[in-house]
Amino acid sequence: MSVHPFVGPAPAASAPVKPGMPGLCPGQLHELHAHAQDWASALAFALTAAPDNRAPLVLVRSPRRAGLPLQPYGEGLAALGIDPSRLLIVVAPDEMALLRAGLEAARCPGLSALIVESWGKLAAYDLTASRRLVLAAERSGLPVIVLRLDASPRASAAHSRWLIRNLPSLPQAANAPGQPTIAIELLRQRGGPAGQIWQREWNDADKAFRDRPAPLSGAVVPFPALRTGDPHPRVA
Amino acid sequence: MIRTLASHEADAPFALVARAGNALRLSAVCPRAAARGLAPGTSLADARARCPDLATAPHNPEADARALADLGRRMGRFTPLVASDAPDGMLLDITGVAHLFRGEAALARAAMAEAGLTARHALADHAAAARALARHGANPGDNDVRALPVAALELPDEALAGLRRAGLHRLGDLARRPMAGLAARFGEEATTRLRAILGEGASPLHSSPAPAPIRAHARFAEPIARTCDVLDAIEALLAEAARQMEARRIGGRRFIVILERCDGARRRLEVETGLPTRDPPPVMRLFAERIDALADPLDPGFGFDAIGLAVPRTEPLAARQAELAGDDAGEDSMAALIDRLSTRLGPGNVLHLMPVDSHMPERAQRMSPAARTPPPLWPAAAQAMPRPLLLFDPPQAITAIASVPDGPPQRFRWRGLLHEVTRAEGPERIAPEWWRKVDGHLPGHGLTRDYYRIEDGEGRRFWVFRHGLFGESSDPAWYIHGLFA
Repeated sequence: MSVHPFVGPAPAASAPVKPGMPGLCPGQLHELHAHAQDWASALAFALTAAPDNRAPLVLVRSPRRAGLPLQPYGEGLAALGIDPSRLLIVVAPDEMALLRAGLEAARCPGLSALIVESWGKLAAYDLTASRRLVLAAERSGLPVIVLRLDASPRASAAHSRWLIRNLPSLPQAANAPGQPTIAIELLRQRGGPAGQIWQREWNDADKAFRDRPAPLSGAVVPFPALRTGDPHPRVA
Repeated sequence: MIRTLASHEADAPFALVARAGNALRLSAVCPRAAARGLAPGTSLADARARCPDLATAPHNPEADARALADLGRRMGRFTPLVASDAPDGMLLDITGVAHLFRGEAALARAAMAEAGLTARHALADHAAAARALARHGANPGDNDVRALPVAALELPDEALAGLRRAGLHRLGDLARRPMAGLAARFGEEATTRLRAILGEGASPLHSSPAPAPIRAHARFAEPIARTCDVLDAIEALLAEAARQMEARRIGGRRFIVILERCDGARRRLEVETGLPTRDPPPVMRLFAERIDALADPLDPGFGFDAIGLAVPRTEPLAARQAELAGDDAGEDSMAALIDRLSTRLGPGNVLHLMPVDSHMPERAQRMSPAARTPPPLWPAAAQAMPRPLLLFDPPQAITAIASVPDGPPQRFRWRGLLHEVTRAEGPERIAPEWWRKVDGHLPGHGLTRDYYRIEDGEGRRFWVFRHGLFGESSDPAWYIHGLFA
């Protein structure tokens, strides 16, 4: 292992802050649904849910089938506290190659997380294909996340299915956009309740999505009627 | 040095210049320059005074050494024992090979023609004498080492001057005298060199022959046709190549299999690995991937009657001991994954993000094949400016309305949808890279961008820019360049 000059923050905890929210646990297959324009938030949620801070992250994508001509940006990754050199981008020409490359990477035990980015229907992703990914994830013990953009949910063997949406942020000074805020909806969970929605705000110190801190009350301690040392005590 | 000159300076005298101490001095001259009285060692100022049309180039010793090594490889067609005599000589041991080229003289002519350079040659019984004759002999043909000047000893200038003052001009004069006095006056070096040139001491030839290529070949009594049989045969060849490589402590980076069909057609399969390896199983998996990924399947016709394996690219690989406690498989399995995916999808489709030193956002990174480059080193994240997680390539045009001419947009239309901007931050002004264009520093060449980080009513955060200041263009266009988390 070579010494790396990248000064990363403390590892982002994979466990959620609030005990209520299940995380993207390792060794399982998770699906993240998002609108195309919420793609960055969904990707940030998936990347920061990865457990280890050193091992490589693999992003399998098929830019030819993508709805928007976007590519991951290294400085933006660094701003999320992820060393861009950890990211390995695999470009697949079609859906079948996308799933095969994803399966190949899911079997590799040395990774931190595997993210498969898909657009639209993804016809080849059926119960068999998702079950293969589940088995590979269980054997290698890494979280396998299928990002499904502009897609409607369909039956699969995934452990959980989530919907990520952007929320308006709390404005900063001079009405500047604040920290990224997202709504995380648990659409389906194997063997557990579903349907909850959590609101999370990006915490720049922790480099993770956290609960929005409770606003300060603004209450002030009232002045006492009688102050000690007052040279002119008021007499009732 | 091999040079290519423009036609107008082809007739001019030419010299190479090197820095010696604080002066620029000629280190080599062409015959035309030598005829005008220039010699190596002349300072450049003197040379220019004598010969104003002198063309010069800086001396590049590394390129000379490379050319010499290349020449040594080409000389391998005359004799297997070739040694380079740095910086500008070549020694060939032609014992027992001269008759193949119809005699020594013909061999020497052929070697000179092969070299294609202006050079001198000499033939002698041993290497030191040949070197001295070639460098200091008066005529190309004679081989009397005793007639050579004392300069052939290549001693320091003071020692040579001392010898000449003593009236000793030829090696023969020295050889007649007792060696002890010579050693006492000029050091042991002088007697060692003299003995070597006279053939009394050893003058070994330090040859470094090219290592034999790693190859394995199998011929079959009956042609084989099934793919699994072919794979079995490749595995046996890989095991043999692994034995050859283990003995030399190297591992292969590129493996080539050539399948020879009965009808003479040849099929070539090639795989590359990211780390040197000599274990057959991972290479076999790559070959299986390669056969799977072929556009047309492996057509055996009437069968393959021979299979050859070559390992053209090797790297040092020491034997490795398995770790007792825990496994260090992480890095290896990652390299194996990159190899497998590169073999299946092509090296250009398994990529790393590489940082590029540029302040233009789209030029600040590039993708490079992970199989060919080591993991990049990104600088520590110290920048304060907001950068998006996803970047549009190319930027997408939008129609935007701003409340003030040089302010952030108030609403914009992108892909047919109207976005109301509720929050905005900026601008971050990024000037074009004027040094990349001809006349880029003049106004009007290249447009400045004003970047804004904006958020719409639904909480989507975009990175948009206005292309051009109002002073630069009358109606600046707006583009969206990235998506923030």
